[in-house]
Amino acid sequence: MRLSVAAAISHGRVYRRFGLSPRSRLDLLRNLVTALVRYERIETPWARADEMRGYAERLIDYAKRGDKDERAMRMADFWLTEKDLIHKLFKVLAPRFQPHAGSYTRLLQIPNRDGLDRAKMAVIELKGNPLPPLVRPRRDSDRTLLNQLLKGYRQDAQRARGT
Amino acid sequence: MAVLVLVRSPLPRLRALLQRCWGRLERGLWPGIFGGQSPPWGPALAVQGPALVPQGISDAGAPSLPESMVWMAAPKQRRTIEVNRCRRRNPSKLIEIKRNIDVCPECGNLKQKHVLCGYCYAKVKEETRLIRMEIYKKEGGPFNAPTVETVVLYEGEKPTEKDEGKRIIERARKRPSWFVQD
Repeated sequence: MRLSVAAAISHGRVYRRFGLSPRSRLDLLRNLVTALVRYERIETPWARADEMRGYAERLIDYAKRGDKDERAMRMADFWLTEKDLIHKLFKVLAPRFQPHAGSYTRLLQIPNRDGLDRAKMAVIELKGNPLPPLVRPRRDSDRTLLNQLLKGYRQDAQRARGT
Repeated sequence: MAVLVLVRSPLPRLRALLQRCWGRLERGLWPGIFGGQSPPWGPALAVQGPALVPQGISDAGAPSLPESMVWMAAPKQRRTIEVNRCRRRNPSKLIEIKRNIDVCPECGNLKQKHVLCGYCYAKVKEETRLIRMEIYKKEGGPFNAPTVETVVLYEGEKPTEKDEGKRIIERARKRPSWFVQD
């Protein structure tokens, strides 16, 4: 049984290290969560967005419990530094995501940052936001073989129903 | 060349003693001073070091080098250009070619398969910035987040029955083709 941990091994650790200390890491992620709830789409380094995603989705799960819930209100009070966003969270985001079971955010990678560090950037957004869509879902053209066969099948079915 | 050191001492006995010692040194009758090396003024050379100690080498079996010398690794042979080429062009040292580059179907620019197209994203980012400016103008100041949903309408569009309780943000331009109204 290993009674001590070597300094450079981090097998099985799930949380990344950010900032100056664990408290600083939480403050950083808290700022990002606040920005996401306010602007509904933010652009940040990929590692931070990935780390923040879990916290944001759990916050929305807490918000779905309703604002009468003591724990939900305490969570929202800690995680949102701008207090007018608590109203937005409980009155706008909770009803918006009520039919969804999970995965309220979308994380997409962007070309690397233009500065000297060329950091891997990502854009994280809440689904159902009013802003223009980032990715347009593309349907296959009607001319592909499979689509032509399906079209023929649909027409046959219609003719059979009609007669 | 023997160096004469003239010492002026007030005591005549000390002076006589020094003269006697000097005489003995010159004649080589005082070999014990220089640690077993006789005569220190033998062959007149200006070089320090082992050149003045010919007997020391034959006495000791090992070479009389100072103990602070360290043996260092050095290549024995010149590496031929063939060997050099093999090492420099080994596949592990070459730059990997990327096979995940595609053409964006919207604008035709190149993009990586798992990354958003840079041109299309810049387009969307600019439009988002303008929409956010409108939102800020409507809110009037900081920390005025609304408690209702938002919908963006372009020129000549009327709010439908789906946009009942929502706050409306007007944009003074034609609706872009890539922003489809749901």
